[in-house]
Amino acid sequence: MAGCAMNTQLIADNIDYLLIGNWANGQPGGLALTLFLAVAAGSIASLLGLAGGIALTMGQPGLRRTLEAVIAVLRAIPVMMLIFWCYFLLPILLGIDVPGIATVIAALALISAAYLSQSVYAGIAAIGHGQWAAGQALGLGRWQTLRWVILPQALRVMLPSFINQWITLIKDTSLAYVVGVAELTFVATQVNNREQIYPLEIFGMIGLAYFIVCSTLAWLGSRLARRWQPV
Amino acid sequence: MPSPPAWLGHSWLAPQYLGWLGQGLLLTAWLALLVCVLGTLLGIVLTALADSQHKAPRYVAQLFLTAHRNTPLMVQLLLWYFGMPSLLPESALMWLNAPHALALPFGLQLPWPSFEFLAALLALSCYGASFIAGELAAGLNAVPRGQREAAKALGLTALQAFRWVILPQALVIVRRPLLGQYTGIIKNTSLTMAIGVAELSYRSRQVESQTLLTFQAFAVATVLYLALILLWQLAGRSREPAWRGAR
Amino acid sequence: MKFSIALAIAALATSLPALADRLDDIQKAGVLRVAAFDSNPPFGFLDGKTRQISGLDVDVAQAIAKKIGVKLELVPTNPANRIPLLVAGKADLVAANFTVTDERRKQVDFSLPYFASGQQFIARKGILKTPEQLAGLRVGVDKGTTQEIHLREKYPQTTLVAYDDTPLAFTALRNGNVQAISQDGSKLVALLAQAPDKQKYELAPFTLTREYQAIGVPKGETRLVSLVNDTLKELEKSGSAKTIYERWFGPDTKQPLPRDFKIGDQS
Repeated sequence: MAGCAMNTQLIADNIDYLLIGNWANGQPGGLALTLFLAVAAGSIASLLGLAGGIALTMGQPGLRRTLEAVIAVLRAIPVMMLIFWCYFLLPILLGIDVPGIATVIAALALISAAYLSQSVYAGIAAIGHGQWAAGQALGLGRWQTLRWVILPQALRVMLPSFINQWITLIKDTSLAYVVGVAELTFVATQVNNREQIYPLEIFGMIGLAYFIVCSTLAWLGSRLARRWQPV
Repeated sequence: MPSPPAWLGHSWLAPQYLGWLGQGLLLTAWLALLVCVLGTLLGIVLTALADSQHKAPRYVAQLFLTAHRNTPLMVQLLLWYFGMPSLLPESALMWLNAPHALALPFGLQLPWPSFEFLAALLALSCYGASFIAGELAAGLNAVPRGQREAAKALGLTALQAFRWVILPQALVIVRRPLLGQYTGIIKNTSLTMAIGVAELSYRSRQVESQTLLTFQAFAVATVLYLALILLWQLAGRSREPAWRGAR
Repeated sequence: MKFSIALAIAALATSLPALADRLDDIQKAGVLRVAAFDSNPPFGFLDGKTRQISGLDVDVAQAIAKKIGVKLELVPTNPANRIPLLVAGKADLVAANFTVTDERRKQVDFSLPYFASGQQFIARKGILKTPEQLAGLRVGVDKGTTQEIHLREKYPQTTLVAYDDTPLAFTALRNGNVQAISQDGSKLVALLAQAPDKQKYELAPFTLTREYQAIGVPKGETRLVSLVNDTLKELEKSGSAKTIYERWFGPDTKQPLPRDFKIGDQS
């Protein structure tokens, strides 16, 4: 019973810090920062991924091979290492100081874009040759066919991969701790080390928070997919 | 060899430390291999459950998939390693944490893996399986309905139709995405350092705390991950035409 | 391949202009950036009320900033990135319970030690009375600590499991995953006092090492090192060092420990 009271106290003392960090002093953090990182990186990644997928479809062989190599390398580096290198090597190589939040967004956007490019490419490839032929028969050019005939159909096919990638992205923001960005897992670790003896309670709690965010997104995605059912 | 620039440290990594990283790489590869096998088997079971005629198995599968896909792997690892012991009786726990060896013929001994390794294996396999199941289901759905009907018309039973008609086609469709999942599994093993598995990332941290050559320790680890995964993808891709041909 | 990448990066790095004296940079910027732990009470941790990093290391860092006459900016750090922060120029000093070793002296310069501690153990009651009993035990440590290094080198018969931080290591002990955990004695006293099932565990009655903690300074910044040393000596002379110590380890704190080390005792 004492343990139970202790846990309620534990939550009451820390819930605001876990949710918004030290916002009152101008340093947003916690779940709020996690969501911000995810939305920012997710938007950039979606645009880059779309561009990458189109380039893989329409580009010259040279461009395609270069892109494929870049994608393969990005996919082969553990995300935490990628964040680490972006944070510490960019200032040394470029001679400019990049803030932690920006490097985390850049690293997560890059790696997600690599995955999304392949989904977009596969999505476009899944649309039959007949559709390209139909577009051309209507007098549309290659790019016009892509824009008005292929992409609208392909995007529907791709929606599930986009949703999955966004969910992965939300979970991956937790690796930002390696460069000291105060997102949810980072502030939870701070609280954990101050309280010292409740690691399971604290990590269980943040696990639940990620679960709520991610499964809401998954649910929205499946509703959208149903409404968007290919005809 | 010239001494490295100041920011990279004032000496290179000694061979001893490269040895530690090499050991870490071996454990990473071994753990990843086991997880790929176990995760695929579990993924097949989950796909079968999700495809069941009955409601109960479908719900079980759905619950498993949702819980594992929508929470960070790190949290799952911590719960397996730190949470599971509170469910086990103390004697079982003592046994799991004590060293054991399986006696083999010819005086060989197979050491029983540490509790850290077992917890990591279970956590990663469950996590991996929840994604592998998704790929398998998508692959099965992509096989046209008509194939099933055709098999039936040929007089095959449902199981035979699955084994000889549906599965081979589904495997061709899912092998690319599956390769991607296996790549993810290799990368995910790096998180198991949190529960004390001495894989590559853990070893790089050991080298770091001993020498303070952080950049070099992490650089070697990054290159080793890169090499392992690129080799693995290359191996997967080079077999592609043969597999395609078998269709 | 590794070396070709390293050399390529090295070539790029050496082409950059040489850095000016770090102390001049600090004075010009008006800010001293110090990397401090945010998860290591009572040296550097998040204060529950103010939501700011505080602790013994932070008090020392504050004194150094005051001496230079600039504002203090804390950069939260952990053992995995305290050197990169220093080397990449994202922090000027490291004040993060940084233990001095000869191997580490090759990479950073250390100030005079301002704290001393010894490696101790919390174990299940009755199983750890002498260092010899460490052989065959499973011992939990924190990643990146000198405790891990010392045990690995001197007690090869001990199975080490390194966790990300002390709460996880202690949970592993309470779960039975390890039979003992090792840390600075100064941290273990407070840890044990807080545990709800503390009657099951005890502080082993021996101390393995004497370790010294100091401020980490980028290599070759001699002016900065001597300024830090001057500050530390003045803190001791004026009695402020004692006041700071009592604030975190005095009789009324979570970890009451008599002060047995003065700045200047060890260089």
